[in-house]
Amino acid sequence: MRVKSIATLLLLGLAVLSLISKGTAQDADMAVVVSSSNATTNLSLGDLRKIFAGTKHSWPGGKPIKLVTRGSGCPERGALLRLLAMSEGEYKQYWTAQVLRGEADAEPLIVPSIGIQKEALILYPGAISMVSVRDVKPGMKVIKIDGQMPGAAGYPLR
Amino acid sequence: MVQGGSRTRIHCLLLALAFVPGSSRAQTASPTDQEISNQKTSDREISEQETIAQLSEQIKQLQRQDRDLLDRIKILELKQLPASPVAEVGPATQPTPAQPPLAQAAEETTPLPTPASAPHDWHEVHGIQWRGFGEVDYQVLNQRTPEFASGGFVPGSAGNFYTDEFGLFLTARLTDKASVLSEIIFQEGDAQSYSVDLRRMLLKYDYNDHLKMSFGRYQTNIGYYNWAFRSAAWLQTAADRPLVMQYASDGGLLPTQAIGISVTGAIPSGKLGLNYVAEYGSADTVRPDLNGDNQVTDENNGNHVNVGFFLRPDAYPGLQIGASYYHDQISNNILEAVSGDPVPPVPGFLPPSTRYGQTIVNAYAVYVAHGIEFLNEGFLIRQVMIGGSLHFDNPAFYSQFSKQLGRVRPFFRYQYVNANSNPNSIFDDVGLRYGPSFGARYDLNSFIAFTAQLDHTARGGEPDLNGLQLQFAFTF
Repeated sequence: MRVKSIATLLLLGLAVLSLISKGTAQDADMAVVVSSSNATTNLSLGDLRKIFAGTKHSWPGGKPIKLVTRGSGCPERGALLRLLAMSEGEYKQYWTAQVLRGEADAEPLIVPSIGIQKEALILYPGAISMVSVRDVKPGMKVIKIDGQMPGAAGYPLR
Repeated sequence: MVQGGSRTRIHCLLLALAFVPGSSRAQTASPTDQEISNQKTSDREISEQETIAQLSEQIKQLQRQDRDLLDRIKILELKQLPASPVAEVGPATQPTPAQPPLAQAAEETTPLPTPASAPHDWHEVHGIQWRGFGEVDYQVLNQRTPEFASGGFVPGSAGNFYTDEFGLFLTARLTDKASVLSEIIFQEGDAQSYSVDLRRMLLKYDYNDHLKMSFGRYQTNIGYYNWAFRSAAWLQTAADRPLVMQYASDGGLLPTQAIGISVTGAIPSGKLGLNYVAEYGSADTVRPDLNGDNQVTDENNGNHVNVGFFLRPDAYPGLQIGASYYHDQISNNILEAVSGDPVPPVPGFLPPSTRYGQTIVNAYAVYVAHGIEFLNEGFLIRQVMIGGSLHFDNPAFYSQFSKQLGRVRPFFRYQYVNANSNPNSIFDDVGLRYGPSFGARYDLNSFIAFTAQLDHTARGGEPDLNGLQLQFAFTF
């Protein structure tokens, strides 16, 4: 009986913790990360939107931009959809249209984990991605958006 | 192999786990001395629970390793994908830095909330990206006197099924900056015959965002619709294109196709988001008459110039405002549609050798964001006889509004074309046409959409037309 009560309490505690952690993860600022070799240090929110909408294709030096995104259901995906003011369905349709227009070769690369996200940034020197600020890893270069780093008051991505 | 090994180990451990509780039950079922037996059983259960916990932890570790290995395989596959065409450029274009050690990657790999879609792109085969699209339509039209119809719709019938266009879209990247694009259309014609049209075939070179060049057969960038919706019916909200934006081969008023050079890019303009388009090419439009006289007009276009600008201001994401200016020279050379023979000129009318300077001015304002689509485009097509004062003005516009509500997108469109009906005018077969269309598009999933549309078209000097269109449009 006692064991059952302890187990129930533990389960409840775990559930509460998971809810709290989920809530805070959703509220965390979203860092924009690029390859460490990328010279860019700051982007305007407008340019970031153009990049993730596939209408801006190259970095100032001419290096092609490679979009690396997370899959549906991830907080990073939510931030991306908010940036583009699209629903998940509209996003998919938009990219199919971009390909059929000839404006893009393919849909942005979708990676399944933070580790792969980091590897993609190493693999593609022109890569750019969004990652929750708590998941930023060594080797990911965080760039400013409208002159602000994640965590700053008024940082536009979360 | 490594992956298979890990899986085998996991399976063994799972079998062990399944076996341990079973054996425990078997042992406790043979009592000799009850107390000793109970004590032993209790000790054994504690020991087994510890073992289970250890095994469970080992399974979790192995699962993590397995997942990491799968991830690494995926990233290696990704690494190989762009290698085929791009590798020829030289190692400098695609540096492949050393991978971090497996342990480090495993440490940093965070499991997914949900299994993400696999990064492998099935649309790429040996460096060639392919896509396809098509449609199946049913249309009812209360047309007493048959007019021209394209795409397989039988003019004058009460209603029939047709497939209009089926397209294959291929692109291949040659270098970091160069690529090839082609769009092959199979269009249904009379008696379910199909013709092939290489609607786009482009060698593209994107120097940077400010200079993107295309050489080959392109769709003229007159207006927004031609750029945004290209050929695939699946891209459109409505079941058909506005009349002014119809392909010239389907009776549309604009020179929609040309062979030449098209240059586009962004103009440094800060938050204004100014872009340009410049085209120089040969259109050579052959346009069927809409009024069902079984004649076509071979415009024998001279080379054209098309220049356009558009704004995408940062402050209003989704808003695009643009304008373009097109100019070429054309003839009103009328041919029999089936035989291609010249139609003898009617006495008193201008000879087919008469040339006209054609100027097309377009302006548009569109807003596409937050599930809203609001398209507004206006055109003035002006044809002026060279060496004379005769000229024809043909204004046209359309406006379309739609809003995404879940999977459904209801829409409303109003279009207006007032083509000069002077018998010498190239668009005398069109005349005045205007009216609303409304309906809804339902997205069954990301690849298939069903659209139902009602049309009402008033025609100058002719009875009004009412129509119903049902369409399945798909992409794959």
